[in-house]
Amino acid sequence: MRRPELLFPGIALAVAVVLAALGIVVVTAQESAVLVKFVNGSLPVDPASPLWPKPADVPLTSQTLVYPLAPAVENRAVSVAAVHNGTHIAFLLTWKDATQDAAKPGGLDVFPDAVVVQFPVSRAQLPYICMGTVDNPVNIIYWRAGVGVENLVAGAGYGLSPQQREALGLQTTPTSPVELLPDSAQVVQAYAVYKDGAWYVVLIRPLGSVHPLMSSLADDFSAAFATWDGSKGERGGLKATSGWVQFRLERRIFAAPQPTQPAPTTMTATQTSATTVTQTYVVETTPAWAWVVIGVLVALLAVVAGLALRRR
Amino acid sequence: MNVRAQISMVMNLDKCIGCHTCSVTCKNVWTNRPGAEYMWWNNVETRPGPGYPRQWENQDRYNGGWALDGGKLKLRIEIKKDYKPPGLDDYYEPWTYEYEVLFSEKQTDQQPVARPISLIDGQPMDVSYGPNWNDDLAGTDLLLEDPNLDPLQKSIYAQFKDVFMMYLPRICNHCLNPSCLAACPRKAIYKREEDGIVLVDQSRCRGYRYCVAACPYKKVYYNWKTGKSEKCILCYPRIEAGQPTVCSLTCVGKIRYMGVLLYDADKVLDVAAEPDPTRLVRRFIDEVLLDPFDPNIVSAARSAGIPDDWITAARRSPVYKMVKKWQVAFPLHPEFRTLPMVFYVPPLSPVVTTFERTYGAKITDVFPRVSELRIPIKYLASMFTAGDTALVEQALKKLIAVRIYERSKNVAEPGLADKAKQALAEAGLTEQDAEEMYRLFAIARYEDRFVIPTNPKRYVNQPQLKAGMAGLP
Repeated sequence: MRRPELLFPGIALAVAVVLAALGIVVVTAQESAVLVKFVNGSLPVDPASPLWPKPADVPLTSQTLVYPLAPAVENRAVSVAAVHNGTHIAFLLTWKDATQDAAKPGGLDVFPDAVVVQFPVSRAQLPYICMGTVDNPVNIIYWRAGVGVENLVAGAGYGLSPQQREALGLQTTPTSPVELLPDSAQVVQAYAVYKDGAWYVVLIRPLGSVHPLMSSLADDFSAAFATWDGSKGERGGLKATSGWVQFRLERRIFAAPQPTQPAPTTMTATQTSATTVTQTYVVETTPAWAWVVIGVLVALLAVVAGLALRRR
Repeated sequence: MNVRAQISMVMNLDKCIGCHTCSVTCKNVWTNRPGAEYMWWNNVETRPGPGYPRQWENQDRYNGGWALDGGKLKLRIEIKKDYKPPGLDDYYEPWTYEYEVLFSEKQTDQQPVARPISLIDGQPMDVSYGPNWNDDLAGTDLLLEDPNLDPLQKSIYAQFKDVFMMYLPRICNHCLNPSCLAACPRKAIYKREEDGIVLVDQSRCRGYRYCVAACPYKKVYYNWKTGKSEKCILCYPRIEAGQPTVCSLTCVGKIRYMGVLLYDADKVLDVAAEPDPTRLVRRFIDEVLLDPFDPNIVSAARSAGIPDDWITAARRSPVYKMVKKWQVAFPLHPEFRTLPMVFYVPPLSPVVTTFERTYGAKITDVFPRVSELRIPIKYLASMFTAGDTALVEQALKKLIAVRIYERSKNVAEPGLADKAKQALAEAGLTEQDAEEMYRLFAIARYEDRFVIPTNPKRYVNQPQLKAGMAGLP
């Protein structure tokens, strides 16, 4: 006798298998990370400085938007190089833009060219790529031509009580999912040059965090990027974004480099091809075997449930 | 039926003397700040002319307002995929004069001159355009830029220059179907539930300027200093206290009237999507705006939470009388489909003065052919009724009938009383209407012109407001 509910165990089984497979697939995908080179002393603020390592190209895709905004279809890239000196980290972001658009007094129809770097606040798992969620916020460095640089937090706002928000130095009522961190956390410096149809923006911030909603980059970290082309009227959601890119800090190298230590050259070989991680990269901390066990358990449960139903 | 109340305004253009006191007092109260120098939340335009910003009515240029796309309302910025707001050139570069020179200059043969300097960067500049540049023949050539003039009128105007003129004061229309609100991806713009005032939440605004592009009246302005957009707030702190806006209060010609209008929020989108633009005003007045004397509407208003003092105010409202009862006031450019809640009584005087013996003439003689009028009715219809000349004509007929009636009471002219009766009958007015219209248009006192109930903050205990949300969803 055919009963429709018998279908469910089968579906559950299929889902379980897919889930297990996904778990394995996700974890076994090994991305190469961009190496954050160690430099001794002060960090370079000049984009032409020889201290910058070879940059990695991060592909950017125009964000899909809904009415009333225009869905843009454009692919571009931003080149990323990073160095650190043990206390601070510097990013060199380079991207092509045929027109220089900077905010200016009386610039009513000027939309500034801009770039952001987005970091997960929590190390537990990667946040939602589109500016985080209430549970898992992101820390954003937002640079705009002619405006300057801001250290922002996104996603956290609506998940905090007024008391918590006050303690964090935020406005008691959130007005936006993206908020400016308090003045004490505005510790990012920016140096920008527009030359030969390209922006060169150097962003420098402390490696550690100075605010609970600011990311610490003291260990390896992930980051995502976005750029705005002001001449195309890009503002707000009209932008091109990347996926998550992994960064690995080069450990401090002392005066006499020892050949026995892992040579920096071997690492630089991997840095040139940064691949982006898809949004399905859900759980970073759960090891592969756990996923297999979970998958098998779910499958077993499904089978048992199916048998129970059939017996009835 | 979903009854809401809104504080709205009527401007009687017959009485506007073009003194710009409204603009200046508004500026002194609200926009004398850095980044806001070029903004005129209230401005007065001398028409015909390009207006401010230049040619704002030309939506091929600015993409403001709504249009029908396959029968459905859509923002023009969305249809055209053009989200560009106007630039400073489209408004004007604001300037002041270097008055300091008048004091500091050493004595010479010539008088010192206070040169114009830019309010943006403080540098000397040549003034080449302003917010009402065509006024007083400063830029006569620009008159023909007026989008309301059709080619024939343009050729006539080019020949005679002064064939007609009128003033048009403009504020934010606090529309029922605001396109600025619809265009904002940040939901920073909201329409207040209690009085219909449309506001930009400065803490939510991120300066994307979609609203600036989408407002067909160009009444949202971008403040380049704060990086946010702002607009006329209908002086809401004053309105809440039962006082008129600054522009209304200081109006020298006493052309402005304020009061409550009840409207049916359920009808707004349906009427705004009316396929025939010339029917927009009629349907707006008939279907969206409600009669506060109708017991069904009063009970619906009560159940919608509108307090009794507001319903009483709606009955006394001069705006209700002019817009709904007598139908002599019309919204500005209804074809933009935002259902604006500021209304204009079309000007009559320049029409009348073209006829030597107007007051003696039969009303049918005064309006024999539209093409013979000095202010072309077509021009007014293009501005206020999306081309429906019959509506403008019937309003002007009423205004002139009241004049003839009042004249018959004061002037002993043989046969005038009969003419007045005939004029009233033709305009569809009773003597009582005429008396009331005369009182309101000619000798109204402060409390007749401004019937503004105080705002009892009746929404203050609603938890969703405490959570930081306000306005219509």
